[in-house]
Amino acid sequence: MARPTVGPWLFSDRRIGSRPPSILRDWRLWFVAPAVLALALVVLFPSGYLIWMSLMHWVVTDPDITFAGADNFAAMLGSADFWSAAQVTLAYLVLSTALMIVLALGLALTLSGTRSTGALRALVVMPLIIPPVVVGFTWRFLLNGEMGFLGAFLFPMAGIRISMLADPVGALFSVVIADVWSRTPFMFLIFLAALQSIPKEYYEAARSDGASVWQEFLLITLPLIKGALVLGILFRVIDAINTFELIYVMTKGGPGRATQTLSILGWKTAFQGFDLGGSAALGVIMLIVTMVVAMAMFRRFLRVKA
Amino acid sequence: MTTAMAADGVAFHRPVSLRILRAVFLALVLVFVVFPLVWLAIGSLKTRHDALAVPPEIVFEPTFEAYSKIVAGGFLGAFANSITIAVTNVILALLLGTPAAYALTRMAGKTQENLSFWVLSIRMAPVFAVILPLYVLFRSVGLLDTRFAVALAHLTLTLPLAIWMLMTYFRSLPIEIDEAATLDGASHWQTLVHIIVPISRPMIASVAIIVFIFSWNEFLLAFVLTSRSAQTVPVLVAGLAGTMTFDWPLIAAVSICSMIPAFLFVGFAQRHIVSGLGSGAVK
Repeated sequence: MARPTVGPWLFSDRRIGSRPPSILRDWRLWFVAPAVLALALVVLFPSGYLIWMSLMHWVVTDPDITFAGADNFAAMLGSADFWSAAQVTLAYLVLSTALMIVLALGLALTLSGTRSTGALRALVVMPLIIPPVVVGFTWRFLLNGEMGFLGAFLFPMAGIRISMLADPVGALFSVVIADVWSRTPFMFLIFLAALQSIPKEYYEAARSDGASVWQEFLLITLPLIKGALVLGILFRVIDAINTFELIYVMTKGGPGRATQTLSILGWKTAFQGFDLGGSAALGVIMLIVTMVVAMAMFRRFLRVKA
Repeated sequence: MTTAMAADGVAFHRPVSLRILRAVFLALVLVFVVFPLVWLAIGSLKTRHDALAVPPEIVFEPTFEAYSKIVAGGFLGAFANSITIAVTNVILALLLGTPAAYALTRMAGKTQENLSFWVLSIRMAPVFAVILPLYVLFRSVGLLDTRFAVALAHLTLTLPLAIWMLMTYFRSLPIEIDEAATLDGASHWQTLVHIIVPISRPMIASVAIIVFIFSWNEFLLAFVLTSRSAQTVPVLVAGLAGTMTFDWPLIAAVSICSMIPAFLFVGFAQRHIVSGLGSGAVK
């Protein structure tokens, strides 16, 4: 409040009695500027442009680009495709998150000991660095109903007669499993770091008080990794909303609309339906949802320290 | 493996039943993680005919037919594109990110918090929100289907990541280093180039590796911004998997090749990668 009006309001200057303070003299500005400009070019400008596009009647096959106001949003929110995609995205999100938390937490608890080898951890983390397109193909290769190891051999032997990728429910489970395979390691790394930061003394004290393993987990481990859990779920929500290539390669959103998530719908609207305005409106809706979720979770559970 | 688990620090004095449960869980997870990759590798060594056999042939005559098709079919271009794009992206991300991360850690209070949070929040924006505008933008300046456009677009993902990882590291460097350099008459730029960067070399190397892998793996931006000449490996895989004449072994072989950089890098810098992949999320 009591800052000098012409003072360095953006960058504080520690030196006292220096030349007339000017933000342009601050070296830090020049170090940060190129990166900020680059991000403005590839993120800030596109986001603004997206909002403008969403307000336009912009169909590639129609030479007229006219102002449409909220028409695109009204059309999008009124379409059955949108609500079906929202439902699929939600189901996909809930299923994959639940499976990932169980797997990642189990793995983190199993591998958090100091003696666990790095090689084992690296092996578990490996799927994370494999291109998601390839993950999708790998699982399609396994689940294919005509020649896949699981889809055509193991599942029929186990009495599962449906063709996973051709069945609406089977297809949703298939893409969820593939995504769990690919993205669980990220959650595992977050949980692992949190577990390793818990002081060993807590457990020793609990043990000397006669706590059971279950009590240790509920009363020490769980409360202390709450932040990591929230963070893991937060990243998961964003990831799930963004998942595109895995589904694109495995099912292209089919059969029917069974695995058509919001991002698949957005892609189809723009590049198969040629409705850039409508697709942009969907993009804006997704952007808002992601931002609201992220902000709410950050506010509620995490104090962001920079 | 089993000994490592049994002697696990946290698992000390645990009931036997729990240890068995853990061993079974770990074994199941390892099968779940490893089997798909092994099966893919086996599939890439089969002929098109063998790959279709049900029940699947465990014993068969391995062939490198699919791999030679990568060369003969002219698919090497996609690998060249992917390498060029990823390397360009690494250079851009480091050139832009290193000074920014350094300056951000040498700023005071609120400004630094806000700027850093803004940088991190970009990581949270759906990629889908930027592809359409970027597509229109690059189309209007005639950069569609060029490697430079893809490398530039990948900064959306990799620049915030690089800045965030480097900041975590630069913050751990004592400010006395800067002060000593200033006393010796070094400018801020000289301090960064001659002192900070050399002592941060291991961290910069792992940032480079992670950025390379992110760029190499990225699909959606590359898919939308390229058609033919700048096609990357993930786009090629999706393209092959979308054709009617399905060549399973060929796609398996391309897939296996697409994992080479990841395997190589993990072999070299496994520890940094594992901690680096988690950073940006964990502070």
